[in-house]
Amino acid sequence: MNNLLLFIFRYSAFLLFVLLEIVALVLIVRYNEDQRVIFLNSSSVFSGKLYKMADKAYKYGHLQIIADSLADENAELKARLFNMERTFQHFSGTEKPLDSCILEPFRIISASVINNSINERNNHFTIDRGSRDGIENGMGVISPHGIAGIVEKTGEQYASAISVLHSAARISASIKRNNFFGPLIWKEANPEFMILEAIPRQADIRIDDTIITSGYSFIFPRGIFIGTVHRFWSEGGSNYYTIEVKLQEDISRLERVYVVDYKEADPLVK
Amino acid sequence: MNRETIKHIIRGFLFLIFQVLILKRVSSGNQWLWHYADIFAYPIIILLLPIRMTRHYVIIIGFGLGLMIDMFYDMAGIHAFALTAMAYARGIILSYMEPRGGYQLTMSPTRHSMGINWLLVYTSICLIVHVFLYFTAEIFTFVYVGKILLKTLLTFVLSMMAILGYHLLFNPRK
Repeated sequence: MNNLLLFIFRYSAFLLFVLLEIVALVLIVRYNEDQRVIFLNSSSVFSGKLYKMADKAYKYGHLQIIADSLADENAELKARLFNMERTFQHFSGTEKPLDSCILEPFRIISASVINNSINERNNHFTIDRGSRDGIENGMGVISPHGIAGIVEKTGEQYASAISVLHSAARISASIKRNNFFGPLIWKEANPEFMILEAIPRQADIRIDDTIITSGYSFIFPRGIFIGTVHRFWSEGGSNYYTIEVKLQEDISRLERVYVVDYKEADPLVK
Repeated sequence: MNRETIKHIIRGFLFLIFQVLILKRVSSGNQWLWHYADIFAYPIIILLLPIRMTRHYVIIIGFGLGLMIDMFYDMAGIHAFALTAMAYARGIILSYMEPRGGYQLTMSPTRHSMGINWLLVYTSICLIVHVFLYFTAEIFTFVYVGKILLKTLLTFVLSMMAILGYHLLFNPRK
């Protein structure tokens, strides 16, 4: 017994080291990949606040870029509005649609990205809207030039989302010209490209074809422009094409995003 | 709590804030370099602890500091894993590099006190342990050993520049 105590005393620094390393390893294995619930502290109040303060300071330097991109976006929205008005001018004032849901199935919540990563295998970002603004888990997040991610965990004031640059993100996307669709995933270290898989061989694909969201899910509405075909190939003997898609949105510079609340999803999911 | 302790704590917090607010933002840019590299300046907090400090305290501080960094990097345990190992390795490295006659009471691990050569060897060995273990734990498989080594090398060079920059610019006594 005495010897044991002596041993413990003598090697106590080493034992402490081993103990703490085991704790760290358990943390790594348990919380890093999928169930990052307890440790996911970006959405916790303290680090969220600090990031928000730092973000405010940082944004002063980038006001011009942000203003430019907002102006571009406004221009595009105006164009759409005019198109829409032309479509609807055929309706008379008395001919009201049955339900507002038919015309407005989506509610859009605007948010700012306050923390973002692109260089890890699984990337996340944090937005400054949470459950009190109506954010719920599983909502899609779109950005001015494409798609950004899916809300994964909602706090009261902040929510954290998996980025499209995440190994678990699978987005149903289609080729605009001929409607072939497949899952869009992210494989490589380069945040500018994603891979569109399982497009059958008979599809006629050209470089620079437009890739849009397919709308075959309750996350993203149909027709959001994601990017263009950069190159495509088929693995030897496979009946499917693999397409490398160049993303339109620069994920590393996400600033303002829009969370899509698909009102019709609720009753269907329940 | 004497004045030295308080000075160490304040300096530690400044490094922590510098790391998570500035270096983290710099190293998550979109240039090709940042796909393979990071800058870690926070190990200097452990490196600057007094030489004669009890090993247990160094290890515990390393673990706690690692967890705090993890919190800001949205990870769990990776920084803590690497930094705890570095804190333990620091004790061994210090005992190997002990000058003849042992460490004096007034000595501290800085350029001012130990000279640039001693500082270079001490900092680089500790840092390489930390960076290598960090990327090993992050990638978590030895299949990508080439990637681990490349990331270790680039990150080591950049972090070393940051840490030595501090020593050269401010030349801290303690």
